[in-house]
Amino acid sequence: MQRPKGNQSAPWTKIALKTRAAIALASIVPSAIALSILFATGMDFMAMLFAVFLPIQVVAAALVGILVYGRRGILEGLLVVVTIFFASFIVVLLGSVLWSVIQNGSQAISLQFIGQNNYYIKPDTSLEYGGVGHAIIGSLLIVGTSTLITVPMGLATAVYLTETQGKTKGLIRTLLQAMSGLPSVVSGLFIYAAFIASGLTSYAGWTGSLALIPLMLPTVARVSEEALRLVPQELRNGALALGAPAWRAFMQVTLPAARSGMVTAVLLGIARVIGETAPLVLTTFAADRTNFNLFNGAMASLPTYLFGFISMGFDESIQRAWGAALVIMILVAILFTTARLASRTRSKARK
Amino acid sequence: MTDQNSHLRSEDVNVWFGERHVLKNVSLEFPSNQVTALIGPSGCGKSTFIRTLNRMHELIPSAGFGGKVLLDGEDIYGEGVDPVKVRLKVGMVFQKPNPFPTMTIKENVLSGLKLSGRKSDNAVELVETSLRRASIWNEVKDRLNDPAISLSGGQQQRLCIARSLAMDPEVLLMDEPCSALDPGSTRRIEETILELAPQMTIVIVTHNMQQAQRVADQTAFFLAEDGNPGHVVEFGRTEQVFEQPIDARTNDYVNGHFG
Repeated sequence: MQRPKGNQSAPWTKIALKTRAAIALASIVPSAIALSILFATGMDFMAMLFAVFLPIQVVAAALVGILVYGRRGILEGLLVVVTIFFASFIVVLLGSVLWSVIQNGSQAISLQFIGQNNYYIKPDTSLEYGGVGHAIIGSLLIVGTSTLITVPMGLATAVYLTETQGKTKGLIRTLLQAMSGLPSVVSGLFIYAAFIASGLTSYAGWTGSLALIPLMLPTVARVSEEALRLVPQELRNGALALGAPAWRAFMQVTLPAARSGMVTAVLLGIARVIGETAPLVLTTFAADRTNFNLFNGAMASLPTYLFGFISMGFDESIQRAWGAALVIMILVAILFTTARLASRTRSKARK
Repeated sequence: MTDQNSHLRSEDVNVWFGERHVLKNVSLEFPSNQVTALIGPSGCGKSTFIRTLNRMHELIPSAGFGGKVLLDGEDIYGEGVDPVKVRLKVGMVFQKPNPFPTMTIKENVLSGLKLSGRKSDNAVELVETSLRRASIWNEVKDRLNDPAISLSGGQQQRLCIARSLAMDPEVLLMDEPCSALDPGSTRRIEETILELAPQMTIVIVTHNMQQAQRVADQTAFFLAEDGNPGHVVEFGRTEQVFEQPIDARTNDYVNGHFG
């Protein structure tokens, strides 16, 4: 027997004409009513969306549900409408944030903006001069150092939580949870008080890296814990039954099996701290010159640059802040894409 | 070695999980180059028992152990005995095939060496002999560098057997190795067991009465009744356990009246 062509191959996907019409009506009519009310009364769009459109749409969906499936269709229609409504609400919200950053930021961004530093730039200097080069370097150095320190710590924590029979697991997990609720400014303040206010050092990049560690650690530890937990116990047993010491079983079987989850853990950790402003303002302060030395002198970073310029209040300075916001977003996007590609090609090469 | 024919022997093995006593006074002898089947209804402790033979039960945090397991006359629970060393001599195949998914077929066979930190001088040869002994060589010889998870379930299980054999164990423990497999694969694995039997001591847990009769020289019947810990009801030559059992409960079980 030949496989039937098109829709016939899956009879359950066939939808009766009547049903199609009902669904089409149910999606057009509520929007039409809501829009006409909006134009007629001139009420607030958000108020209209929630007070007029959503109730009408819900009723319409319930009616179509009854029409198509009988009584059990009510709940189904409601669920479909509510799910789609809130999902699209979030998507639109996210999209508009992205869009406003891209729209405003792209006016500031140029090769010179990315490459130059901020020396001699006043708040109202035209955008043809100066840029965020020093802040990009600062952000990469500060966050990179934090990552180098935090990832081994987070990984070790995750290993303790999943691979051992330690007695203080519950305590550690609670502490991690508490840590992820730590306000970032407190972390910055602590480092400031311990190292800078105490006179141990002046503003320096490494203090910023230290301040970011407690913020990054819970994310890295918890996500990699989840990744390790997903590795089936049978694989560990298999490795141990072959006479492997626990650490070899972990390094050669468990860890490779959890690799992509581990990459995610590191990425989420970086994403968590790359936009942190408060701890960096307190520890690395701000600088307008390029500083490659983590151990000496103030260091600029993208969030502190953004914060500095937006609080100046000039048109040009706000433009620069938008530009910096876009640069952060691009940086994160580049980072995520490369890390994903790198982890994918490596797993493919093994095959 | 005190007794030439008693390669592996358990003496009064008791196991607790937390407060629960799950195995009581299990004393069995596993002579060299013979296959021993462990049968019994679910939850009677036979899987737990087979794990005590290479100390895998210790991975369960609440497990407690009493008794002795003698391998070549030496107690594997003795002071200063490293469980890792025990598992090098006593290999294990699990219920569910568990090839390492990040490795190729070849790497899986050699994984035991790598995992125990040893190098093989003739890796190529070892791969072939191990796969041949597990009677899977002909099916995979042209795709040794394919990922292990591309194999079918039965092939994966035989790959796991090959992986254990590459370590050249003295004892091979099999915990329901065919329970996840189709009849064809089951037959292949039983043939493999019979081929391996003259070279090593094999202990197999099975729920399949016919399988026990087909592969095992001797059979032990485990039972845990009315909340009592599991224990051995009957232990003897396979024909005797199945055809002239001494205990009435054994008779009922092997004839399918319960369990």
